[in-house]
Amino acid sequence: MKIEYLPHTADIRMKIGGSDLEELFQAGVKGMGNILRDDFCDKHDSFDQQSKIEIGASDLTCLLIDFLSEILSISYAEKSVFCKVDFIAFTPLKLIANIYGRQIRGFDEEIKAVTYHEANVNRDNNGQWETMVIFDI
Amino acid sequence: MKINKEDIHKIENYLWEIPKTFHPKMRVPARILASEPLLDAIMEDRSLVQLVNVASLPGIKGASLVMPDVHEGYGFPIGGVAATLHPDGAISPGGIGYDINCGVRLLTSNQKIDEIKNKLEALSKEMYAQIPSGMGKGGQIKLSAQEMEDVLLKGAKWAVEKGYGEVEDLAFMESKGRLENADPSLVSDMAKKRGTDQLGTIGSGNHFVEVDYVEEIYEDDIAKAYGLYKGQVVVLIHTGSRGLGHQVATDYIRQIMAAMPSYGIEVPDRELACVPFNSKEGQNYFKAMCAAANYAWCNREVISWEVRTAWKNIFGPTVEPLKLMYDVAHNIAKVETHSVDGEQAQVIVHRKGATRAFGPGFEELPENYKPVGQPVIIPGSMGTCSYVLAGTAKSKELTFGSCCHGAGRRLSRTAAKKQVNAPVLKEKLREKGIYVEAGSFKGIAEEAPIAYKDVNMVVDTVSDSGIAKKVAKLRPLAVIKG
Repeated sequence: MKIEYLPHTADIRMKIGGSDLEELFQAGVKGMGNILRDDFCDKHDSFDQQSKIEIGASDLTCLLIDFLSEILSISYAEKSVFCKVDFIAFTPLKLIANIYGRQIRGFDEEIKAVTYHEANVNRDNNGQWETMVIFDI
Repeated sequence: MKINKEDIHKIENYLWEIPKTFHPKMRVPARILASEPLLDAIMEDRSLVQLVNVASLPGIKGASLVMPDVHEGYGFPIGGVAATLHPDGAISPGGIGYDINCGVRLLTSNQKIDEIKNKLEALSKEMYAQIPSGMGKGGQIKLSAQEMEDVLLKGAKWAVEKGYGEVEDLAFMESKGRLENADPSLVSDMAKKRGTDQLGTIGSGNHFVEVDYVEEIYEDDIAKAYGLYKGQVVVLIHTGSRGLGHQVATDYIRQIMAAMPSYGIEVPDRELACVPFNSKEGQNYFKAMCAAANYAWCNREVISWEVRTAWKNIFGPTVEPLKLMYDVAHNIAKVETHSVDGEQAQVIVHRKGATRAFGPGFEELPENYKPVGQPVIIPGSMGTCSYVLAGTAKSKELTFGSCCHGAGRRLSRTAAKKQVNAPVLKEKLREKGIYVEAGSFKGIAEEAPIAYKDVNMVVDTVSDSGIAKKVAKLRPLAVIKG
């Protein structure tokens, strides 16, 4: 799993990678959690919050962005940061998953949205799945 | 796509154009309002590629435009204006942004800087205590389902009716603090849930509440009409529709992206997703956006109440209440009448990081402001200065009645954090007489003045180009950040 934060004039540009799609999506969740609360998902591995997500989309890239958007909404609504995903079903156009996280006292960053801009889920030359994700801050 | 300086033609002072012939998908030219040094700075990121993409929107008229404070966004550039023909031209949620009706307002006091100087530290601490960021627990108000409906329908008026605002304030807001097309039933349950406890909160990022004083007056008559004078203490508030607006934008970009193919629309970037304004999806988004805009006006009114409370707590109950000078949106879409191809026509004006800047005679303005034009409030970066401008007739000719909205970022947040030592900056600002109260040092570093363009250059450009007049310069005394 690879999570990198790259410069963007006003927002946050995150590059994620994984050996399979589940790992790529998991990297997205963890990378977002670490922004919402500094390094939160690196520091915690026990969780008391759980939520079930079902998402359908027109392509793989939209599936990832909509999945992260849904988790972001739940994070703010429940004042929680989610770090871990268990996939119950996963196809390129639909997924069902349980997400796990913890309630927090405050967010370090306010992400306004997970945007589709520059997002493109694809395989690199080594067969690793990767994409850019731009968060509107 | 690569844009070189040779692709950009100067068409008059401060106005540059990338012609329609530059790219086959462009329906109109792309125009940049900037001095040459600012144009060179703008070319350092992807703003102009994004501007060219906007010129491909269905129904776009005149030109796709950017202001001198423009910077790269995530689809549309931030600091841009796009007008599409009513009723079937495109409406694009990305052209408004995720923070629907993010905007600024200015409150004026009748105190001068010397009268408050010795209480400034106490005032900034009290303001920090009164104004929640909303980043942890919510604000002081918890809305019931019925109250949420009322906020989304009534905007700032709801706050006034509930005792969180002054009835006199309402005339001094763009659209009087309420868009009439709002339909709360089109705002999702998730958006409403996120908005339940966020009224009266500023959020984080570049949002702030700032105490300033008027350092300089450039136009005596206009300043007098706006109630501004040299040495006067004023308060600047910058925030928007919080999680509710973010959710409305997220919900509808997804819906509009799915609906787009059925209208035969293709866009070069998914964040430019759009549908005809008069389509079902277009109307649903517009009505939900109006509701979110109303939430934002209500939010800024409630924050003003918190500021007024802090003011009374520090200066005593007999202090003259702060007055609202004006409140403007800089992330919004409006149906307005403008000159299109030599004729007056209704257009859907998308302003994303751009401020409406209508000139003298505009019907909606309060009587005192009608002869001098609409106030335009331009916040600078933390610790530099901010400006009050007045809209002119020329803005209608050049920019669909629009002007810049701030200094404009130039450094990424990561670069700013690398270059800035926040505790040192806080101390340096303190030595300059500016108190900073912030939730984190990270927030201070990310918003350091070095991360922004020179607001003086941006404001001089809009003023020299004639789309707005410089009225007053404000210098900060205390900055409250989430």
